Amino acid sequence: MSYRYYEQFKPSRPREAKGGIKAQSTRGGFGESWWARRWVEVLEDLDLGARLARGRSYARRGQVLSIDVEKGAVTAKVQGSRAQPYRVEIRVERLWGSDWEKLTSALLQRPVFAAKLLAGQMPEDIEDVFADVGLSLFPDRSDDLETDCSCPDWSNPCKHVAAVYLLLGEEFDRDPFLIFKLRGAEREELVGAAAESGIGADEAAIEASAEQGADRSPPEPLPVDPVQFWGQENSGCEEDVHGAARIPTVSAALPKQLGSFPFWRGQESFVPALEEIYRRASSAGLDAFLGERRDQSD
Amino acid sequence: MIILHAGESKGALVFWGEASMDARVRPTSRQRRRSRGASASPHPFAASADDLAGALKETGLSLKPAAKRAWHVTAWLPTKGNSPVPSSSLIAEPSKSRAKTKLVAWAVPACRFSAEEAVELLCASSGRRTLAAGVIVGHDLAYWAEALRFAGSMVARQQYLPGLTADRDEFRATWDPVFVGADAERLAELARRMPAAARALSEPDATTTPEKPSTEVLRRFAATLTDHLVRTAVSDTSPAAARRRRNRSSFDSVHDSWLHALMSKDGVVVGDAEDLSLLAAQVQEWRRPIAVSASSPFRLCFRLEEPEDVAGTDGADDNSSSDEWYVRYLLQPHDDPSLLVPVEEAWKAGGRKLAALTRNGSNVREFLLSSLGQASGICPSITASLENAKPAGYSLDAAQAHEFLTEEAVALEQAGYGVMLPAWWTRKGTKVRLAVQARARSPKMQGGSGLSLESIVQFDWEVALGGQKLTLRELEALARMKAPLVRVRGQWVEMSSQEIQAAIDFWEKKGTEGASVRDIIQMALGVKDAPQGFDFNGVRATGWIGKLLKQLDGQAEFKELKSPRGFSGTLRPYQVRGYSWLSFLRQWGLGACLADDMGLGKTIQTLALIQRDWRANGKRPVLLVSPTSVVNNWEKEAARFTPRLPVLVHHGPGRKRGAAFKKEAERYAIVVSSYGLVHRDVKTLRKVQWSGVVLDEAQNIKNPETKQARATRSLESDYRVALTGTPVENNVGDLWSIMEFLNPGFLGSESEFKRKFFVPIQAERDPSAAERLKRITGPFILRRLKTDRAIISDLPEKLETKVFCSLTKEQASLYASVLKETEEALESAEGIQRRGLILGTLSKLKQVCNHPAQFLGDNSGIADRSGKVVRLTEMLEEVIEVGDRALVFSQFAEMGGLLQRHVQETFGLEALFLHGGVPKRQRDRMVERFQNEGGGPPIFILSLKAGGTGLNLTSANHVFHFDRWWNPAVENQATDRVFRIGQARNVQVHKFICAGTLEEKIDEMIERKKEVAEKVVGAGEGWLTELSNDDLKDVLALSKEAAGEQDVVSIL
Repeated sequence: MSYRYYEQFKPSRPREAKGGIKAQSTRGGFGESWWARRWVEVLEDLDLGARLARGRSYARRGQVLSIDVEKGAVTAKVQGSRAQPYRVEIRVERLWGSDWEKLTSALLQRPVFAAKLLAGQMPEDIEDVFADVGLSLFPDRSDDLETDCSCPDWSNPCKHVAAVYLLLGEEFDRDPFLIFKLRGAEREELVGAAAESGIGADEAAIEASAEQGADRSPPEPLPVDPVQFWGQENSGCEEDVHGAARIPTVSAALPKQLGSFPFWRGQESFVPALEEIYRRASSAGLDAFLGERRDQSD
Repeated sequence: MIILHAGESKGALVFWGEASMDARVRPTSRQRRRSRGASASPHPFAASADDLAGALKETGLSLKPAAKRAWHVTAWLPTKGNSPVPSSSLIAEPSKSRAKTKLVAWAVPACRFSAEEAVELLCASSGRRTLAAGVIVGHDLAYWAEALRFAGSMVARQQYLPGLTADRDEFRATWDPVFVGADAERLAELARRMPAAARALSEPDATTTPEKPSTEVLRRFAATLTDHLVRTAVSDTSPAAARRRRNRSSFDSVHDSWLHALMSKDGVVVGDAEDLSLLAAQVQEWRRPIAVSASSPFRLCFRLEEPEDVAGTDGADDNSSSDEWYVRYLLQPHDDPSLLVPVEEAWKAGGRKLAALTRNGSNVREFLLSSLGQASGICPSITASLENAKPAGYSLDAAQAHEFLTEEAVALEQAGYGVMLPAWWTRKGTKVRLAVQARARSPKMQGGSGLSLESIVQFDWEVALGGQKLTLRELEALARMKAPLVRVRGQWVEMSSQEIQAAIDFWEKKGTEGASVRDIIQMALGVKDAPQGFDFNGVRATGWIGKLLKQLDGQAEFKELKSPRGFSGTLRPYQVRGYSWLSFLRQWGLGACLADDMGLGKTIQTLALIQRDWRANGKRPVLLVSPTSVVNNWEKEAARFTPRLPVLVHHGPGRKRGAAFKKEAERYAIVVSSYGLVHRDVKTLRKVQWSGVVLDEAQNIKNPETKQARATRSLESDYRVALTGTPVENNVGDLWSIMEFLNPGFLGSESEFKRKFFVPIQAERDPSAAERLKRITGPFILRRLKTDRAIISDLPEKLETKVFCSLTKEQASLYASVLKETEEALESAEGIQRRGLILGTLSKLKQVCNHPAQFLGDNSGIADRSGKVVRLTEMLEEVIEVGDRALVFSQFAEMGGLLQRHVQETFGLEALFLHGGVPKRQRDRMVERFQNEGGGPPIFILSLKAGGTGLNLTSANHVFHFDRWWNPAVENQATDRVFRIGQARNVQVHKFICAGTLEEKIDEMIERKKEVAEKVVGAGEGWLTELSNDDLKDVLALSKEAAGEQDVVSIL
């Protein structure tokens, strides 16, 4: 028995995983936003002890190979000590029709909620809105949350579940709608509800115009008149259309505005890599703008 | 001659050309069969593949056409009868056919380049009419160069995002431009300007006209170039990266693979197709918020509004009375940026202005909420405003307003929002800030002499605000207010408490310092940075230093000098001012750039300066550097205006070098040499301690890297002068080299100049940098235009000058051989035979003076073989650059034809040519086109016989007599074409004479007998035949000075 006991608890070394999802945080807590921290708190309340610490190191080393979020359920693959990755499932109690109706009508009474949600951000006091209608955003009862892992560890949740859980916390930073999805409402449904109440819009129309954008222009027949056809001298530069071209002091502002990439699994961190690229490209762009040929040795 | 075109085909640029008759090499092309299945016939005057290759080789760019084999595209071109309408009359006169114009498909030989090469070609085409002699930039090609600049600007400003696109069976990582806000407007505006020719190409088998929308074509082009520019800037060419590329499958994740492909040359992403299409969807989702705002028809703007001006308050403490700033939210439609709708309107359903915004069915409210939501991430105060049911903006105090101005506004703008700030903030050049200024005291003059740039002057520092000196107590009062934005004397001023504290510390530590006059001048002009990073507010000074600074600044007059003794010309009033200005700067050892318009007499003003200086400065020589083509001219002008100054021409193989040269040069007042020799003989020239160095046509050193620019900078002299007729002050890039020659160090090193002036002015459009540059260079550049009111009154209606040119080596030897032949024949000839011989010789020699090709009747190259043509080209360049118009008369129709071809090939502009063979109707049409102010061709070449009488050509203000007709009456009659009723401007007449040839001799004879010339000379050149053999030999002989020993411009 003692032998088996020993074997059971000898910390097994997981196989090295390549291209797994690495936690963005290298130390300290997972997730920066309050809603991400709220999520992780739920896990910490479950008193996992050493398994939580191992879960952290799994999450940081990229042992989690994939995460899929669906309504009410998360499935993930985690590389453990066996050749075959383990399969992790987290099921969350979904909210249903009437609950959502109550919620959306409460949410839309203040423009700030609609604005923040439409902009992809989680309003600060959204939990109050849930509480006001007698619901909670985060699964707060243990039977709201069900976890399962194909590993031989009997304890539940195990370190693999913990790793997935922690990474999800970070992901909530980036996409607050993920938590709504887990609770049973897609982004589109939520915004659609807003549209019905007169504040939102036809999401599909926006989507379509964003997609097509380019192809909306009707065909343009070529003019027959030779002067029009060949253009006038200086037709391109009679008047300066370009305005100022200044290299921005903050590099890669556009990607930064969008935030880090979902479940980034690259070796290099996403935003810092882009920052470097944008910085180097700027001076090449400026040379092209000024009509200077680029020095090849540069 | 070839006009180079570029059109879009399959997402890439394809280059093709039209060739004029003389440039076409096409024995076979006419018989070329239609390629199978093609609907288009071969274009009758398209450049063949060989023409294209030849033209591109001329450009000197490193281009390799992608395919050597003949490759064709179909171009849909306006066509009359059965010939395409040429894009320009440079190629052919437009057809007179009355047939209706229609679009017809023509097969044209074409070539494609790598993106790298296309960028190089477009960069070279940017802002230019020709890429090389005879290679002309078509309007469509010029347009693409502009489009490249657009893409370059987007990359510089970082308006793009990484993307992933499925491309048939593979995935490509791309860098996609994001057209939001002002870039969406630019895209629309540039698309509107696209010449149809740029989108008129189709595949060879196409049967219908292409109808590609210009916005689409431009968007795709900008995307291709954005991707290319970013990719090549970051692609890793190290061996390690090459190794990684070889085993691409080794990526740990699709993310690594994507990121790597974004930086690779081809952008191909390797990986499992299913994973990649999932990733592509994720990328799309990640970019969604920006895609939404890019597709919306309007954008959200923020306008910072100042507190209401409270009446009756003045002084530094009035900011307490009203401190309510406001940021107002406004909606701005992309297609009508002038319409700004406060968002209050948007919350009111059915508002009239709102209706204008929502006409394409977009939901303004959703857009607004989403935009405000995003912006609240940048600017937290917005969040608070959203608690209001109908948010319209929010209030701020001065500290918050300052934060908005300095931080949030920048971030909002970068995120694509419109930001409108008060004018006093955006006009950086005039922004009032805390600054330091120097107060200099002039030491006593000691008898007016002994002062130089090196004299030491004492000065104190002062702290000032808006030019007004501040006391320590005032500074401390400001410090107590602790507000970053303070209203002082009715004006908002930005100042931080650190700044005020630093000023107080500075105030307490400062003492009296000493500096040279040169340093003081540099401080006054803003050349130097102020201590401790303060803004520099210049120098206040009294006494003679104050006067000197004011004189430099143009605020005080300087003494007008009398003509120097020994000077034999008469200076016009503005020339007196110019000469006095040159002398004033010379006195201080400061370099001067005299940039007067052509014909205002830069030469005479310079000679006056040299004359004055020669006597005052120990009779040391001045080195005068000019293009070879005007070396003779300087010699002649010096002989005329400063006959007592000995002139040495340092030119030709007989010139002295080393110590021998030094010894010789020191006996002369003026040494004339050329740019080519300055570089070649720089060691010799450096041996002399020059009194001055004068550069004529100083644009020759505008490129600081050239050998002649380096050589001129290395010469030692007491003063330096640059002469140029082109507006140097408008071309920021060219300014450094000339200023560095004139006043070394004033604009910093070349890289400092690029960083501090060139990029801010050219790329960032920073008006304060332009203003600083003007402040530093302005005192040293004098440019008067012949249209200036003060100048016009000083100028005669007609200003005649003789332009002395030299012969090239080829011309000189041809001249000598004609002469030898004649001399032998003359011995035995008599009567009619003798007459005929003389007239024939005259004609031959004149042809040689004009151009060897005219004499030899060969159709070979034009450039660089004739001194006259080189000089004419230089002068016409100036004429065209300043927007003037010119007539060029020659008595030889063949020469007229050569000149027309040369002018067109060199400048890429149509030149009209009227000769005896032109029918009346066409002649009338030419005159009409030339007279058409502004639009018509600026150069009109006429044969003296066909154009010398009857025409009215008053829109010209320059008349060139390329060769001389030995009857002044005939010349004058031709000149009078521009003096018909209607001439409003002063006219300059330039008579070209080859120095040292019969042209000069005959000119002298005419001048001597001017009053009786018409009687003596009669109607023709017959009188020359009456001269004795010896007199004739004397007239025709080639004097030494004419012997051009080298080709005029090919010295380097």
